[in-house]
Amino acid sequence: MNSKEHNHSHDDHDHDHAHSHLPSDPELRVKAIETLLLSKGLIDSATLDELIDTYENNIGPQNGAKVVAKAWVDNDYKKRLLEDATSAIRELSYQGRQGENMVVVENTPEIHNVVVCTLCSCYPWPVLGIPPTWYKSDEYRSRTVREPRKVLSEFGLNLDPNVQIKVWDSTAELRYLVLPMRPIGSEDMSEDELAKLVTRNSMIGTGIPEIVK
Amino acid sequence: MSRLHDMGGRFGNGPIPLHKNENNKVEDNEPTFKYDWHAKAWAVTLAAGALGQWNLDISRHYRECLPPKDYMNYSYYEKWLAALTNLLVDKKLVSLDEIKKFVSLVETNKLDQKSIENINLDPRTWLAKDVQKTLGWGGPSLRSTNQEPIYKIGDDVITLKYNPNKDVKGGHTRLPVYAMGKIGKVYSYNGSHVLPDTNAHGNGENPTPLYTVEFKASELWGSSAENENDLVYLDLWEPYFTLNK
Repeated sequence: MNSKEHNHSHDDHDHDHAHSHLPSDPELRVKAIETLLLSKGLIDSATLDELIDTYENNIGPQNGAKVVAKAWVDNDYKKRLLEDATSAIRELSYQGRQGENMVVVENTPEIHNVVVCTLCSCYPWPVLGIPPTWYKSDEYRSRTVREPRKVLSEFGLNLDPNVQIKVWDSTAELRYLVLPMRPIGSEDMSEDELAKLVTRNSMIGTGIPEIVK
Repeated sequence: MSRLHDMGGRFGNGPIPLHKNENNKVEDNEPTFKYDWHAKAWAVTLAAGALGQWNLDISRHYRECLPPKDYMNYSYYEKWLAALTNLLVDKKLVSLDEIKKFVSLVETNKLDQKSIENINLDPRTWLAKDVQKTLGWGGPSLRSTNQEPIYKIGDDVITLKYNPNKDVKGGHTRLPVYAMGKIGKVYSYNGSHVLPDTNAHGNGENPTPLYTVEFKASELWGSSAENENDLVYLDLWEPYFTLNK
């Protein structure tokens, strides 16, 4: 690339782009970049494997479910969680990348919380893992702030008009986790059994935990 | 004006792309990565970022700066990969000629495996043994400063009418268009955080007080709000708004 093409008078690079030279097949596109970086020793394939394995097996909504279940059975923990979510979540050893500053918002009979990132796809990785496709979709990003009730109805959640909706648009580095209501009929369940009721969507606010009969 | 990524409130998008089971219930069991190439695009982006040649705000801005037609046509991880490619070239980690060479090698299936195995690693390269440590530490944006926040919880405020990023045309900011020129109330103060408006352009971290501001749906959407009691919260840095007198 010659210098003229990349002589930025300001920082918007709205002109020639290196990415336009990539193949049309996305699989080959990834392969070209991956192999180029491997050949230069700038990435290590063992690191890629470790990253993928970690998020496929150890970091995901099962972590958030444990946080929620603990809050349901332990009132002191719930209080700490709502006051300083980052520290309370760290008590269960969940912390770090894309969850450095956590906020937990509580659903009540009067208030339903739902989380979105209209600008990109911000999401609390340590407790929920990598966001699902719908969370990253233009449809969810554009509509949730304007018509949350219609969006939630597509998830099968039809909220009473008297329930207030709070939409949290993650525009900074704070990451939001919804604390859903403990389902009726779960009174005799153990913490582990409760954690199994807590779905990913219920911690984003697009679902509610249910007892499967 | 803004860019395509700033899509909050936009009209024209259809139903949320959801999978439903035979009982018409929304499926909630999507795998972490749907395809191997998604996993690879994601992991390569993280590993290249760990070389330390750019920060997260810079990489976000590169995704936003994709030409509108590409931004709209690309799926999520295609955006990541395209932005990464542009970053790698701009930060001189690879050259365009090298990209062209490897594109040709993979397209013609002529890549010699030996050329990518047992390579001497660059000293900056992220090693597998450090992955858990680095992930656990993350990249906190909170900074301790002695800066006192100007606003108090409960203050009535009004957001700027235009992109708060005055230094860079079309520059990165976190004040979405749908919340510009709107009246809200300070809900919480979250300490001083790295200011993306400068950090995304390599112009310094400039830790700045960050607040969560509450807006009524009726303020944002007027009479077309679904329910006037509904609220929207945004995390906004101090220069994004002023007192509403």
